[in-house]
Amino acid sequence: MTTTQLPHTETSAPQTQPERRRLRLRLPFSPWHLVLIPLAFILLVPLLWMLVTSLETEGEANRFPPVLIPERPRFENYSEAWAAAPFGHFFLNSALVTLVVLASNLVICSLAGYAFARIRFLGRGALFVTLMATLMVPFQVTMIPVFLIVKWFGDNIWAGLGIDHIGALMLPNLATAFGIFFLRQFFQTVPVELEEAARVDGTSRLGVLVKIVLPLSLPALSTLAALTVLTSWNDFLWPLIVITSQDQMTVPLGLSYFQGAHRVNWPLLMAANVMSLLPMLLVFIGAQRYFVQSVASTGLKG
Amino acid sequence: MAEVEFRDVTRRYAGDVVALNGLNLTVSDGEFLILVGPSGCGKSTALRLLAGLDKPTTGEIRIGGAVVNNLAPGQRDIAMVFQNYALYPHMSVYRNLAYGLRQRRTPRAEIERRVRETADLLQISELLDRKPGQLSGGQRQRVAMGRALVRKPQAFLLDEPLSNLDAKLRNQVRGDLKRLHRELPVTSIYVTHDQVEAMTLGDRLCVMSGGEVQQIGTTDDIYNRPANTFVAAFMGSPPMNLIPAEIRSGILHIGSAAVTTVPSPDGPVIVGARPEHLQLHSRYADGMVPARVDFVEPLGSHVLVTAVVDVRDDAAAGATAEARVIVQAPAGTELESGARIGLALPAERTYFFDSETGVAGCHRERISL
Amino acid sequence: MPEDVAARRPLALLRRVGRTENVAGWALVSPGVVLIGVFGLLPVLMSLQLSFQQSDLLTPQTPWVGLENYRKLADDPVFLEAIKHTIIYTALFVPGTMLVGLFVAAAMNRSVRFISVYRTAAYITMAVSTISQGIIFLWLTDRDYGLVNAALNAAGIPSQPFLASPSQALYVIVAMTIWGWTGFSVIVYLAALQGVPAELHEAAAIDGASAFTRFRTITVPLLGPANLFLLVWLTINALQLFDEVYATTRGGPLRATTVIVYYLWDRAFVQFDAGYAAAMAYALFVVILVITAVQFRIARRYGHMS
Repeated sequence: MTTTQLPHTETSAPQTQPERRRLRLRLPFSPWHLVLIPLAFILLVPLLWMLVTSLETEGEANRFPPVLIPERPRFENYSEAWAAAPFGHFFLNSALVTLVVLASNLVICSLAGYAFARIRFLGRGALFVTLMATLMVPFQVTMIPVFLIVKWFGDNIWAGLGIDHIGALMLPNLATAFGIFFLRQFFQTVPVELEEAARVDGTSRLGVLVKIVLPLSLPALSTLAALTVLTSWNDFLWPLIVITSQDQMTVPLGLSYFQGAHRVNWPLLMAANVMSLLPMLLVFIGAQRYFVQSVASTGLKG
Repeated sequence: MAEVEFRDVTRRYAGDVVALNGLNLTVSDGEFLILVGPSGCGKSTALRLLAGLDKPTTGEIRIGGAVVNNLAPGQRDIAMVFQNYALYPHMSVYRNLAYGLRQRRTPRAEIERRVRETADLLQISELLDRKPGQLSGGQRQRVAMGRALVRKPQAFLLDEPLSNLDAKLRNQVRGDLKRLHRELPVTSIYVTHDQVEAMTLGDRLCVMSGGEVQQIGTTDDIYNRPANTFVAAFMGSPPMNLIPAEIRSGILHIGSAAVTTVPSPDGPVIVGARPEHLQLHSRYADGMVPARVDFVEPLGSHVLVTAVVDVRDDAAAGATAEARVIVQAPAGTELESGARIGLALPAERTYFFDSETGVAGCHRERISL
Repeated sequence: MPEDVAARRPLALLRRVGRTENVAGWALVSPGVVLIGVFGLLPVLMSLQLSFQQSDLLTPQTPWVGLENYRKLADDPVFLEAIKHTIIYTALFVPGTMLVGLFVAAAMNRSVRFISVYRTAAYITMAVSTISQGIIFLWLTDRDYGLVNAALNAAGIPSQPFLASPSQALYVIVAMTIWGWTGFSVIVYLAALQGVPAELHEAAAIDGASAFTRFRTITVPLLGPANLFLLVWLTINALQLFDEVYATTRGGPLRATTVIVYYLWDRAFVQFDAGYAAAMAYALFVVILVITAVQFRIARRYGHMS
């Protein structure tokens, strides 16, 4: 980077010897901003355009060339969209499913991950390999049988777990092989001496997990939580297969139905879209660090 | 002509952090100069400015007489050996060595010749096909040196190149470096925090602290004629003892003991004496500094006695002040902890420093009582 | 006490400890194992069985048809077309996402002010659900009122039908999904770029390499692991494309965007031909395994994994 000026230096003293004169722009900021701003803008254009359209009237939207700035931001689109479909139900369902799946994964994957990491039990190796093998199987292979299994649960155990109920969205996802793998990796990096010291003091295996290991694993747990929340909330195919009643739909599915009903009313549809996107965008921005970490660490190890 | 010159070079960062303050230094052609000091003293900053990896806030840097401030690192005809070697991990040793020459469009035959020549010199010829990941630490270090040598640059820059080696290897490579410089006397600027390396390797040393030069000189200069208390205490292991004292009516007083006459003006002063120059007497006598043994460390060839000296000033009301003093004694010396001993200041090796600035004062010729 | 003596004997002690370890281990592992076993392993076997049957998911009678489903698959023109579409999609999507991701990551790999804001803008496409993506791009590429056509017109190019055209729709989906996956790709590449020690760049600079040469000879080769990871991950995901097709074209127009998983879903849950769909799923599974294995083999041969 020799032709650009380093961003944080003070101006250098005038040179006494004549040298090759290079064109040097004296900008108050780094020239890279001139590249990064347009780049970021281009990446965000779809989202920005969605926002703009959501504040237009139908008349403005159906104009060509498009109106770039609406005359008056039409916030009514949002209240109308909310009223046009049971969004309250959509959000509630998504929230419930995500919360239950999150809690369940954190607990169950911690227990299993810890056992695989620290307890030498019979069959541990073979069991772990078998579980991990399931990661290689694409969802499409399992989705049809899982549909049948969930249907069986619904018919024989509790309707809330069966077809067309949000329980069916939770049940297959209560524990994931990825979660167990991820936490096992992390638990292995916790110094064994800490756990041994606690056990010498009389703490049980479970106690060690809860009182020693988990508090030290907050970064990993947060990362797993962030990923689980995102995948669970944005899941579409499985809800599409299982749910048909509007009051049981999650946000992506609900949005899809909204799209079917209001295909031509673009501002309304965009308003619904913005509402649907907002929770995950906020979660992402808030927990960005964890998302980045999770992707980066798997990517570099893989 | 590959003289290296820093003219009044300063590097300031945002927030008024001054990493280097007005460095003035000339390294003659072929000289091996060492920048030594504790971490944060500015030595690495100076090296990076010379390399072109950073730009000075003010001042000029010249290589071979030409001002290089605005030249890219690749245009300065310098080579650098990094602390962590910075070998290209995906390239073989041969390609690592050849990289710089290839960037300069050197013809292939010439590259081949120079790489093999350098590899022979450093005894890494068998390693040419291996990748850095397959080499030991010492081998990697030699490849890093080779990559710098093969370019035949105007100046060598070395940034703590031995610090990642174990002690035994470090001693060996130190010797290799000295031999290498004798055979190929390229202007070299070497950065280290290790004073042993500095004293053994350098033609001249530049001792630095807090971004400023403390003293520039040969090992002999630095060791025997320190310019201030920092240099005195930094070089030498164990370091020079620095004892606060006072001159009253022309007589040096340490604590309550009157030690000797001194041709210096009255006032507070810091007295310096190296452990190997102080003389330990098992019984205190007039003219000595009274001390009390704290503990004894036998080192085989000699013994280090750590003693406590009372430096309290009777005249002023104040709390007890004690100074720890280390004195070297012959092997076999046995002393009880708490025993009272006397320390005699050496005739020609007692130093006086200004108690406020730490700057060296006059050098005592002879002590008498 | 005879009991103490017995307990102190090493073999007995070991057996005791072993037993509690086993109990503890299995106790902690069982909830996870049961769940994954029921919803992960069992379905794999059931699916295999299903692929040899004829089932409509509703009636309990599922007659055995042997390899009939697989034979039908080989002759099914829609399936073969779906394969073609999936391959074209994958061949464009995977390199496209990698290139865009690398380009953006390289731009973002510096510490200027607000860099975290720029990076967030790059990453954020990861949080957008596939349905939302589809809706946005349907609107962006609308033939009559879309922003893209407005821009094209301004440049003198006539309006395009995009998602309404059998010849263009698949490529629009390629572009759309590249946008959606850019965030992921940028994260991976940025981490890899930052993993290249600054010292290597400095050493190369001192050796006389220009910024571009440094990028080409030092940075890019060291991206090997990241490249492999993205290649495999993106390919697996590309072969499983569904959501975005459903959200935009429903496999049309005229089946132009029918990819394998879309056809699979359609067969299983719209046509209720589950056995056939299961066979298709298994075929896809095998393809994914084979392609992944091949990719790993090639990567190892070229040895860019430093």
